[in-house]
Amino acid sequence: MKELRGKGVLLNNLEEAVWKHSNKITGETLDEALNAGIAPDDIRHALLQGFEHVRRRLMSNEVSIPDMLLCIDRVTEGLNSISGGKATEEGIPLVIGVVEGDPHDLGKNIIARIYKTYGYRVFDLGRDVPGKLFVKGVQENKANVLALSAMMSTTMVEMREIIQEVKVKSPGTAIIVGGAPVDETLARSWGADGYAETAVTVLEETQAAIGRVREGIPW
Amino acid sequence: MDRKKETFGAAGGILKPIFEGHMPPMGLIPGSLLDGLARFSSFRGHLLRLTNIERLVTTLRHREPDHIPCCPMLYGASRRLAGVSYPDFALKPDATAESLLAGFELIGGETFAPAIDLSIEAADFGQQMVYPDNSTPHPDYAHPLVKDVSDYRRLKRIELKEAHRMQAMLETCRILVRRIGFKGAVSGFAFSPLGVLSMMRGAEHLFRDCVNYPSEVMAALQTITDVLIPYVEAQCDTGVIGVTLDTLFASWSGLSKELWEKIEGPFVKEIAGAIRRKGYIVAVHNCGHGPYFDSQIQFMEPSVITFAELPDDCSTPKELKRRYGDQVVLMGYVSTPLLSYGTPYEVMQECSKQIEDLADGGGFILAPGCEFPPNGPLENAMAIVKAAQLYG
Repeated sequence: MKELRGKGVLLNNLEEAVWKHSNKITGETLDEALNAGIAPDDIRHALLQGFEHVRRRLMSNEVSIPDMLLCIDRVTEGLNSISGGKATEEGIPLVIGVVEGDPHDLGKNIIARIYKTYGYRVFDLGRDVPGKLFVKGVQENKANVLALSAMMSTTMVEMREIIQEVKVKSPGTAIIVGGAPVDETLARSWGADGYAETAVTVLEETQAAIGRVREGIPW
Repeated sequence: MDRKKETFGAAGGILKPIFEGHMPPMGLIPGSLLDGLARFSSFRGHLLRLTNIERLVTTLRHREPDHIPCCPMLYGASRRLAGVSYPDFALKPDATAESLLAGFELIGGETFAPAIDLSIEAADFGQQMVYPDNSTPHPDYAHPLVKDVSDYRRLKRIELKEAHRMQAMLETCRILVRRIGFKGAVSGFAFSPLGVLSMMRGAEHLFRDCVNYPSEVMAALQTITDVLIPYVEAQCDTGVIGVTLDTLFASWSGLSKELWEKIEGPFVKEIAGAIRRKGYIVAVHNCGHGPYFDSQIQFMEPSVITFAELPDDCSTPKELKRRYGDQVVLMGYVSTPLLSYGTPYEVMQECSKQIEDLADGGGFILAPGCEFPPNGPLENAMAIVKAAQLYG
């Protein structure tokens, strides 16, 4: 009983350390949890609960992007620690990147790490990525999801061509787009399967897009 | 004696620009006189067509002119009207001014700023840049000037006279003020200190550093502010009507309100104060999600806020007007996707809605929420101007 309570307290502390994004406390609590023999799955769950807490608070604007970034740092460190830094071979394969000509990757980096945190197998192509590399990346990695980002009105035009080509060559791939100059109307008109307005909604949007493509339901 | 000197000084400050053929600093003109002029123009506007300057001044004093003024924010896009390449538009004052004048004369509007790109100040601090042929210049993020936290305190103050891009901006302002005269109003433009720093550090690292190393970040912000103050003062000296400060990070797209007030608030307060002390208008541009109008008003006391999204504490445009309409002139907020891919008529319909929500009682300038898309269809810029004339 005492042992169970100790485990519960440790996991609660870990969850709290994540949403408070404390580097030191997360590390110490994680070590303590591992030394106490708590199962990695329970630790993973606590880390994700901590992140979920921040995601919800971001949704209601109680925290800001820097909090989210630091929180993701803590979760990533925690997950790496329990997996021994080994990349996962499981999860839904997903290709992500910023379109050609665009050097702004803050949003993409946050989203990529959220996907990783939630178990997607992420192939991050980086920023300023030529369209053909997205098409190739989706084919080679048999990606179920393609996530495209653009932060400039001058570069977002690339998205439309990429979407069209991927739709022909990899019709089973759900394409989700995001970025400052893009909106849902544009995403729909270009033939995307989803639009992620913010990092907060990206997971739900992606799940919905995957479902739509799988069921053949138009967006 | 001192009061006499002050009065003559102010009179000189007003008359000299008028004799030179451009707008005097509005801050030097007694408010009661401006209000009287605005009331008269508002009345006259029912009968006759006002001049661009009359329309703008009436709006700035929160009175209704003949129709609302607009600012199509045709910056990078204007280069296409003058056949100028993007690198030339960014780097050569003659080419910049020629482009912006072409935009002003062909498309219209009452006011504009030479908001060339957001990297002018960072480039002068020594940030490596990329100047694409068909897109906005930006820092080379693979080679940030501020590589780690220890670099914040190493950032060196630069002399304005040796700052090539800022000097080019000043020269552009001079040319524009001279060429525009009383036909319209030119505003200066500067990126806020945190914005400048993000161009040299990258936003992702900067965000973390703001939380983990606030005093290091603030040391760099002080260095940047020490450069920006003489820069905005020099912009005022060119005869612009005011200076627009871009404060992107004072929004949900940036820092939390509390953190922004701590990290950047004191610095933008200094800069805005310097502009106001010279008698010029302070405007704020913030195209982030949920901009913090209340904090920005508290720290900068701007006359105008240009925005792309509703502020964090308003859920409808009408609420925005009710809450802030008597404190600042609202300027916005046609969306970038609509301007990029909508039809001119769709743009006009959206403008009509915004005018209905925000123009009542004056104090509204119709504009895009952010710079008009540099490669967007120019007929959509014309649609904004037409909508202001038709529905405003």
